[in-house]
Amino acid sequence: MKKETSPEASPPGACPRILRRVVSCLLIAHLLAFLAEPLAFFSRSDFQVAPEFLAIRRFAAPYAEWMYLDHGYFFFAPNPGPNHLVGWKPDAAKSGQLPDVLFPDRRQQWPRLRYHRYFMLSEFYNNSFAPTELLPEDRQNPEFYQRWTQDRRFYDALQRSITHRFLATNDSGSTQTTPLKPGQLVRLERPLPSVDEYFSNGQRLDDSRRLIELSDSPVQWAEENRSDKITSEQPDPATPMETEESQKPIAP
Amino acid sequence: MQLFNFLKNICGAFESFFFAPSSANMLALIRIATGAMLAYIHLIWLMDLKNFFGPDALINTEVLQLLHSGRWKWTYLNGNESLLLATLHEIAAMSCSVGMALGILTQFATPAAWFLSLMTAHRLTPMLFGLDQIVLMLSLALSLSRCGDAWSLDRKLGWIANPSDSWRNTLATRLIQIQLCAIYFFGGLGKARGWMWWDGSAMWFAAASYEYQSLDLTWIGRYPILGSVFTHATLLWELSYAALVWPKTTRPVVVLIAMLVHAGIALFLGMITFGAMMMVANLAFLPARFAERYDPSNIGGER
Repeated sequence: MKKETSPEASPPGACPRILRRVVSCLLIAHLLAFLAEPLAFFSRSDFQVAPEFLAIRRFAAPYAEWMYLDHGYFFFAPNPGPNHLVGWKPDAAKSGQLPDVLFPDRRQQWPRLRYHRYFMLSEFYNNSFAPTELLPEDRQNPEFYQRWTQDRRFYDALQRSITHRFLATNDSGSTQTTPLKPGQLVRLERPLPSVDEYFSNGQRLDDSRRLIELSDSPVQWAEENRSDKITSEQPDPATPMETEESQKPIAP
Repeated sequence: MQLFNFLKNICGAFESFFFAPSSANMLALIRIATGAMLAYIHLIWLMDLKNFFGPDALINTEVLQLLHSGRWKWTYLNGNESLLLATLHEIAAMSCSVGMALGILTQFATPAAWFLSLMTAHRLTPMLFGLDQIVLMLSLALSLSRCGDAWSLDRKLGWIANPSDSWRNTLATRLIQIQLCAIYFFGGLGKARGWMWWDGSAMWFAAASYEYQSLDLTWIGRYPILGSVFTHATLLWELSYAALVWPKTTRPVVVLIAMLVHAGIALFLGMITFGAMMMVANLAFLPARFAERYDPSNIGGER
């Protein structure tokens, strides 16, 4: 890139002085908006978000959100973790019977980018989960209760939406290899094996017996959230569950 | 007086950094790759149109309204869109992306591809990932530039007669560079919060993630020291990228590592699109002369 010898010089292709001032201001505003979300995201604790970063984020929100700049830039962070799938559990399923995986499914969702879209949706579905009810002690906290109400409403709507779509597709017979029997959506988790589990026990990464059906029970949910739970791809702060206004509450 | 001179020097350095005219050659290569990737992204949306668009999509109107409630996420694809509108929108987005890649009516096609892709992004937010963040970042910066001045049909057909170095190219290049630095820095900070990136096991657990896996990398589990070294090298590189990519002595090494890391992500972790676009974004740190020499639209080498 060529260096300008003097700011006052006006070689061909140079920016006129007044326009340069205007663009400089817009540039600084854009970069602040770009940094607003990660600064607010990283400066968040259990008690507060750093006030100066929160102020920048609030000020920049209309621009940053509409321009799709509101990201935390978490890639395989903080830790690579278990992946989540969406399954279908027939009402008539026997106890212990593993639900069918709806998505992501490499055989049906091809090419790879298409598969990855469904994979992101399944992670989003899991991250949006809110239990069917709260533990009695959690109901005492009004803020916690209000957040749970919103989260549960969203999760219910998402579940209905996905279910409706798959049943409609099922009726037209266009996607599934085997027709869906009456049932419900379930969340599945594939834990990551340790080196020892993989090499000593001869586990296969794609062994469907390793899939765990996640419970809707509030007790189990509270335990999951109390533990230092990790996910391979953190929910994008662009989702309402992760914004400072509506961060999903952690059971106290 | 000294303070005044100091501030004047700062302003001069700032303006030189962002506004010194430069050529469009490297941006043109980034434009070709970004346009091609955007076209592919929209092709994928088109393949599953009924699942992704319309009132009965996987993300229906109610979910979309709740998702964007109280947020500045306006799109005319608001969940009530008809499949016809969605089809037309996606075809238009794909056409503009192809135009952007070929460099035909580039000054119109590039911002149009960015805008139409942004509208889709707000419609399908739950299905997006790093790829969408990077292509939208690149296409926005390219929209500000004169990236159609090189490697383009506009140039070949003589629609751009006498391209010259422009401040707009520098501004776009600096935007890409700075945003890339921020992405790596915060990406590194995020990893630094996780214990697997410190105890050296992150590489194994990434390799053992079946949903991500494209090529088998589990053999790395047999070489724990190698896996741990890769883990720590990735963390160190990502955290230091923003500092080490600017000095000319360290830049080639940092960019080379970036290419290797993203090639690894593309090959082994099933994200060939994301890995490829991160490699493309890193081209912003390479000198324009690499691209200038082979520009087929540079008729008679008149520049």
